[in-house]
Amino acid sequence: MVEFYEHIITELLEDSNGGLVILSSGLSLSKLISTLLILHSSSQGTLLILSSISTSLKSKITFHLKTLNPQFHQIPAEITADLPSNHRHSLYTSGNIFFITPRILIVDLLTNKLPTSAISGLIILNAHSLSETSTEAFIVRIFRSLNRNAYIRAFSDKPHAMVSGFAKAERTMKFLHVRRLHLWPRFQVDVSQELEKEPPEVVDIRVPMTKYMVGIQKGIVEVMDACLKEMRKTNKVDVEDLTVENGLFKSFDEIVKRQLDPIWHTLGKKTKQLVSDLRTLRKLLDYLVRYDAVTYLKYLDTLRVSESFRSVWIFAEASYKIFDYAKKRVYHLVRSDGIKLDGLSKSAKNKKRKVKGDNKDTEEGVDGASSTNSNAGLVLEEVLEEAPKWKVLREVLEEVEEERQKQGALREEVLAEGEDTDNGIVLVACKDERSCFQLEECITNSPKKVMSEEWKKYLLSKVQLRDIVHNKKNKPKDPKGFGILDGVTPITPAQNADTSSISKQEHDALLAAASGLKDFAKNDHVEDPSLPDFGGRGRGKGKRKIGSKNGPIVVDGSGVQNSNKKASTSDKFGKCDSKNEAHVDEASPASSGRFHEIMHGGTSVDNIVLRKHTNTDAAALNAKPLPPVHFYAIESDQPILDILKPSIIIVYHPDMAFVREIEVYKADNPSKRLKVYFLFYEDSTEVQKFEASIRRENGAFESLIRQKSMMMIPVDQSGHSTLESDLNTPQNSITRKAGGRKEANKEMQVIVDMREFMSSLPNVLHQKGMHIIPVTLEVGDYILSPLICVERKSIQDLFMSFTSGRLYHQVETMVRYYRIPVLLIEFSQDKSFSFQSASDIGDDVTPNSIISKLSLLALHFPRLRIIWSRSLHATAEIFASLKANQDEPDETKAMRVGVPSEEGVVENDVRAENYNTWAVEFLRRLPGVTDSNYRTIMDGCKSLAELALLPVEKLAELMGGHKAARTLRDFLDAKYPTLL
Amino acid sequence: ASAVPAPSSSQNRNAILVSNRQKGNPLLKHIRNVKWIFADVVCDYLLGQSSCALYISLRYHLLHPDYLYYRIRELQKNFKLRVVLCHVDVEDVKKPLLEVTKTALLHECTLLCAWSLEECGRYLETIKVYENKPADIIQGQMDTDYLSRLTHALTTVRHVNKTDVVTLGTTFGSLSHVMGASMEDLARCPGIGERKVKRLWDTFHEPFKRVE
Repeated sequence: MVEFYEHIITELLEDSNGGLVILSSGLSLSKLISTLLILHSSSQGTLLILSSISTSLKSKITFHLKTLNPQFHQIPAEITADLPSNHRHSLYTSGNIFFITPRILIVDLLTNKLPTSAISGLIILNAHSLSETSTEAFIVRIFRSLNRNAYIRAFSDKPHAMVSGFAKAERTMKFLHVRRLHLWPRFQVDVSQELEKEPPEVVDIRVPMTKYMVGIQKGIVEVMDACLKEMRKTNKVDVEDLTVENGLFKSFDEIVKRQLDPIWHTLGKKTKQLVSDLRTLRKLLDYLVRYDAVTYLKYLDTLRVSESFRSVWIFAEASYKIFDYAKKRVYHLVRSDGIKLDGLSKSAKNKKRKVKGDNKDTEEGVDGASSTNSNAGLVLEEVLEEAPKWKVLREVLEEVEEERQKQGALREEVLAEGEDTDNGIVLVACKDERSCFQLEECITNSPKKVMSEEWKKYLLSKVQLRDIVHNKKNKPKDPKGFGILDGVTPITPAQNADTSSISKQEHDALLAAASGLKDFAKNDHVEDPSLPDFGGRGRGKGKRKIGSKNGPIVVDGSGVQNSNKKASTSDKFGKCDSKNEAHVDEASPASSGRFHEIMHGGTSVDNIVLRKHTNTDAAALNAKPLPPVHFYAIESDQPILDILKPSIIIVYHPDMAFVREIEVYKADNPSKRLKVYFLFYEDSTEVQKFEASIRRENGAFESLIRQKSMMMIPVDQSGHSTLESDLNTPQNSITRKAGGRKEANKEMQVIVDMREFMSSLPNVLHQKGMHIIPVTLEVGDYILSPLICVERKSIQDLFMSFTSGRLYHQVETMVRYYRIPVLLIEFSQDKSFSFQSASDIGDDVTPNSIISKLSLLALHFPRLRIIWSRSLHATAEIFASLKANQDEPDETKAMRVGVPSEEGVVENDVRAENYNTWAVEFLRRLPGVTDSNYRTIMDGCKSLAELALLPVEKLAELMGGHKAARTLRDFLDAKYPTLL
Repeated sequence: ASAVPAPSSSQNRNAILVSNRQKGNPLLKHIRNVKWIFADVVCDYLLGQSSCALYISLRYHLLHPDYLYYRIRELQKNFKLRVVLCHVDVEDVKKPLLEVTKTALLHECTLLCAWSLEECGRYLETIKVYENKPADIIQGQMDTDYLSRLTHALTTVRHVNKTDVVTLGTTFGSLSHVMGASMEDLARCPGIGERKVKRLWDTFHEPFKRVE
């Protein structure tokens, strides 16, 4: 354990009330927390860790707890809503440590099922993502009012998120009721001293980018700059933050969003487009250094098809360069006649033999066809530029292996002593799983092979992409298509000219290649069943196996072969391509799964062996041998360093947090020799971004330190109660006007459905002084009075539940059981208060518009009342004023609503006395039965059983039409299909 | 008993009848998809046999806080659907919107908010155009194949699940046979307990209308 953890913990333990700890990212918050958890003893009481369902932090904590102290058997269990409440109660009083979701904790607090005196404290892991209205804040408020002695310890390792907005740290401390702020930046003396005491050996390698990459990067930055300038012109955003450097970060979107969201509906299309363009451009910059040339081009092509015609950047001057260079990294288009063509395909030495042969065949074929094609002589020459880092990675690995062999004799001695000091494990860390796979391919096979592989996939997708455009064109009837259609057509012709000629050749080429590979594929089919199981991990293994033996092309081949059996050629390619993708998709979860097992299972060694490649194949191909290598995707966020204990780390994609993790790992294992290679592209935005992220974090900490020095936090113990009233007064004006709840001596009650505790409204209602009763409701979300029942919909929910039809049925049941059924449409405080800007409304009444749907809802349920609320607080005020003259709701009655009693009769159902409601509902769901004829059917026959016997003529009479009658009769008599 | 003055011609029936009070409201410019004519009506906009709308802008409401209440009271109980079309044209909406919401809600009006005159106009148009439209576009897309339709129908009966649907289907062969099945036959199906049998049987055999 590193020493500064001790400092952090000692400082934190000083205040029995708890505190807020903000740590530099990468300083391994999970280790810190595990260290803290080990100090817990059950005599203190139960410790609850608030955490949402699945976070990697949770699994990391569990991992560290196991390694830190194997005797520490108390791995925290999870408390979920699935456990029966008496069981939960016994866990609460057990004195152990538990993970618990905020939703279940708040419900147990409100229903007094949580014995607060048995709780020693709460740990909150994501302090940066909380706000006054979060459930966590709600929990702390209630918990504090019941138990003042327990501690609340909150953590965050995202300092830059703690400075967004006004005095966020201070506000966070207020609603978490903590008084101490502990800041632990990387530059803190204790931290930096320890981490720099025995630093790892670092080799910083700057790899120059290729000419084209530099060109593309320049192009993107130029366009970005142009977009930013445009943005400034709109005068809608704070100019200060609009720099290209900021534009490199995801948080840039947040800066812009925060400023623009409240006025979003007033913005013109152009500004909105600029915002999304900037996002696209940032991705392009990022992918430039992460993707290989072919994949990059593929992405650009997809963008060109999918981006709307309004996008500003695509038509900017510099964008042309981006596309052009990206293409030049992959292939050249050469104008030539048939004679030159032949020579070309021979000269393309870097092609794989088989592909080359096929190309010859098909090029001839194309020649034949070309008489009809105006672009006859266009031929593409493959360039397939490899990523410069690939070569460097290989060199580094060779160097590592050389050194290893030099030390060979020495190492054996070491091994005899104990493996721990230098196990020779090499770890390559990249950003994502995708890069991992590609790099692995790169060093097992050869970069060329990888490129030609990608090239092949690219061509396949090109065919598919074209099909999509085609399909769109072929369906002019589709009303949705109109807008897009207009946008697509002007772009495609230019592109089509060359795509059609290219893909036509390649189309045929690949078809031939596929049939050529059939034999291989058959072999595969024999091999496949021998694999134990085909799903999940098995599949991942399978792919690997095949890949190393025959080269992954074979996998493609089998895909093609399978689909060959079906349908027409163009379809074939669509299918086989999607199959390829499916392979990739399946492979990645498999590998992350593998890491998982490494963490938990004892069989980890096998798995690691699988993951690393022993270099027999590669050695045959290449002169110099390479060491066994492990690949790790930084995104997967696993405690990889502690699992593998590598002695050489190659950081392929630099990432600040990961660098810190390496530092901590080294400080943790001071005796271990550790060599770290950094691979940067020289003068790239990659470097810029890395350096900027450090600057940004330091800036955040400096600002936090300043804030801390000026913070107004009540110091005395009774400060707690001032905090309480502080929270209540500002929003409580309405209730006070009404005489104040304390004087009135009567608490307003609201019955809230359990599922609603995902949202913040119950919290705000409680702040307003209402008594919250959580129960499971069959109908509605909030019951304000015996008459008023409210269904709450956030904007997103509203759109979704209109589409699914859920809202219609929810309203239908509310109308049935309550006098005043209410639909609450809740807008978010920081977003614009409207559905759309006037310019988005369009000229016609269209069925898909939200206006149409709401109108229809109002027409069908004239009794439905609608509340439009600007924000949570506005909702709370509206609730309070609606309740003013109403009786309090009855909990037991509300719960019974909609739940049929034993006799099958539904209580409170206005219609139930007169109608057999289930039968009516059943009838209305039958085909042929419509809103306009179901009443006449009910008049003409007594029951469903009777209906089942009516001849079609009689039905036609009742249903007012022969067609409907036929439909119904056929449905009733349809033979149920046997499922065998 | 509709209090709507009998439309003088079929032409009027297809048009929105606009109260003379609304003369000069720029909103009228934006009613383009439906015909509208001035008429002597108690509401601002008469949208159908029994549906009407009152128009209020929040800015106006701030000046005349009682206006809406009196207008609603004038309507009496003559309409099934009474829309309060609220034009949100002030920045600070919290207080005025709260008042409008409360008034509309407690006096049996459906509140619709719009942020521009275009949007206001579109609501009026839509309600008129959709006057007799079935609700299927908001009832969700349902799969139209036999099994899903059968499941959709049978699961109306509480606690009947998809497995039960399969059981019933395979046992009785068709829906009409399921509907005609006796209690004993239903009870013989695996997974269908006493209560489900009773519910199913009641659904099929109890008359649609309990009282005539």
